[in-house]
Amino acid sequence: MTSAADNSPPPARRSRELPAPPARWRRYLGENGIQRWVFYIPVVFFVLFFAAPMALTVVWSVFERTQFWMEPGFTLFAYDNFFTSARAENYLYSMLHAAAAVLISFVIGFPIAVFIRRRVTRAAQHRVILLFILPFMISELVRVFAMRPVLGRHGVVNSVLMDLGILSEPITAILYSPLGVIIGDVMSFLPFMIFAGFLALEAVQNYIFEVCDDLGAGRVRLFADIVLPLAAPGIFAGSVFIFVNSMGVALVPTLLGGPGAVNAGLIANQAIVALDFPLAMAISTIMIFTLVLLLYIGHRLFDLTKILEPIS
Amino acid sequence: MTESADIAVEVVGLGKNYGAVTALKSVSFSIESGKYYALLGPSGGGKTTLLRLIGGFLRPSAGRVYLHGAEVSHLPPNRRPTSMVFQNYALFPHMTVERNVAYGLKLLRVPAGDIRDRVDRMLAMVGLEGYNRRMPHELSGGQQQRVQLARSLVLERDILLLDEPLASLDARLRKDMCLELKRIQEKVGITFIHVTHNQEEALTVADRIAIIADGELVEEGTARDVYETPDKRFTAEFIGDNNVLEGAVAAVFDGRVALDIGFAKVEVPAPPAPVPTGARAAFSIRSELLRIAGRGEDMGASWQVVPAEYVEDVYLGLTVSHLVRLPDGTEAVARQMSGESDGNRFEAGQEVAVGWPTDRARLHLA
Ligand SMILES: Nc1ncnc2c1ncn2[C@@H]1O[C@H](COP(=O)(O)OP(=O)(O)OP(=O)(O)O)[C@@H](O)[C@H]1O
Ligand SMILES: [Mg+2]
Repeated sequence: MTSAADNSPPPARRSRELPAPPARWRRYLGENGIQRWVFYIPVVFFVLFFAAPMALTVVWSVFERTQFWMEPGFTLFAYDNFFTSARAENYLYSMLHAAAAVLISFVIGFPIAVFIRRRVTRAAQHRVILLFILPFMISELVRVFAMRPVLGRHGVVNSVLMDLGILSEPITAILYSPLGVIIGDVMSFLPFMIFAGFLALEAVQNYIFEVCDDLGAGRVRLFADIVLPLAAPGIFAGSVFIFVNSMGVALVPTLLGGPGAVNAGLIANQAIVALDFPLAMAISTIMIFTLVLLLYIGHRLFDLTKILEPIS
Repeated sequence: MTESADIAVEVVGLGKNYGAVTALKSVSFSIESGKYYALLGPSGGGKTTLLRLIGGFLRPSAGRVYLHGAEVSHLPPNRRPTSMVFQNYALFPHMTVERNVAYGLKLLRVPAGDIRDRVDRMLAMVGLEGYNRRMPHELSGGQQQRVQLARSLVLERDILLLDEPLASLDARLRKDMCLELKRIQEKVGITFIHVTHNQEEALTVADRIAIIADGELVEEGTARDVYETPDKRFTAEFIGDNNVLEGAVAAVFDGRVALDIGFAKVEVPAPPAPVPTGARAAFSIRSELLRIAGRGEDMGASWQVVPAEYVEDVYLGLTVSHLVRLPDGTEAVARQMSGESDGNRFEAGQEVAVGWPTDRARLHLA
């Protein structure tokens, strides 16, 4: 008797929650069924659209190649193919280029984030940040393609430099070259560094900067001792975004890279065009593991859970 | 300047505009060295602005700041003999307690051994021995404020600025911290300037209080003066629980002012300044000095008595407030310690008399 009374919630509390569903529904949903199912929707979504495709990617990478598709089996032929061809080397170069794009984005983008956080008035900060989203409204294809008339032999950069008499002949190394790919990646993905850096800095209370004024921390100390450590998780998050996109977005090397320029995404694309699906899956699998490794290192260094919670 | 050495802070005609907003009009006052000084006033009055001007976090629009006799208006915060304790969230979240406190000394290139000694001593002073390795998020709000205090005190600058340092603490903890602050101030002997809008806090900690409202310094004096004998009507309305009645000066005679408050004539002690007959004036009397009696009951020769109608009593724990309505419709409050009240003798609507000791009322000229 008493234990039953203890277990059932007091009636007053129940009536404060959702209005009781009609009996027919209650049978399917139970007491607080709606809440329970709402909770599962993201889980289902995640499994359906993230976990399952990734698992299939790994599984398919060891399938046997057929003429137009693949059939179940187990072979490491695709991996063997990857590591014994020029693809492995290209993949490493792709990582190198992506790392360069990350570094340049940090050098350019993070100071912009600091500037917005420190020098733009609070009310205007988010509007300025929104400005950096505008380029994303333009199709990536158009955006990357538009760099050709800027960086090309007779492009804006060269003509201006030549008109100013700084150059006597156009630089050709900035388009259809690895440098062109890096510039393209930086141009495309720089906003990620600005967003992530800004978000991390936004969580830093203004008081912190005033304390530094009070203690007499100069610019260099402020940056090295306070700003950088506090923004590190955000910088890492932005870096991962830029790294992954620089490796994976095939468009940039296709449009700006010239003959022979590839990144990991383009290698996979080429495999698909050649109808070698297991190879494409193997390349994707290797990319996934590269990323997981990066995230693991980042987590050990910065505790990534911090990115999601404001620093208090 | 020719200040004597023991004036820690002197501001002269200090003003500050934020664009079209005038936050501080033209404030002048000085603070003696080694005093615990409170800036008290309603929200938006300009207390924070004033404190930040003293600390160097803002540039004045007008006027000057002298610290220990030296003009500092152009100096940044770290070049002034001041240090600031902020309201909240001002610890470096990625540093341990020890590193937070040590950081300022590190910037000054103090040798590591000295730093450790001084940090440990300061943590002991604020009651946080052994907390060296804690992170700020592992501390309570009160403990975080103690760390901030230590971080400022360890610099050994001799004016400490505190901007609502206890505002985010609960009432109980705030009371404890008030006493703690006072104790620490007495121990280190430097000047504390403490901004608050909480009068109890100000009365607890401060030797002297300045009332700041509408960008102006309303009044300044010892905590007791400001509470018991405020000069300005605003102060009387802001501090303590005062009844304020308005009237016109009917006559001035040997140390007394006769004030016509409409339904009665009362006598109020005359202030030092001359009082013109016929001027509008008000007087205030603290609610705990007001006494209610039956009509016709004698209160004594040194009492002022006016008729009133009893309204109700409100139990407030420590005290009971008795509300009465005066003949002109205004309400007045008489406060009593709860224990002292021998049951309520009056009923709502009953005709009563209220009286107060003549020499405890204060006249405020408009
Ligand atoms: N950065 C600013 N820009 C514009 N107006 C400001 C700014 N800072 C303060 N003010 C205005 O100046 C006036 C005084 O502000 P201040 O912060 O000094 O008040 P306060 O007495 O500290 O109030 P509180 O008790 O609420 O902290 C207010 O009217 C406020 O709106
Ligand atoms: Mg304030």
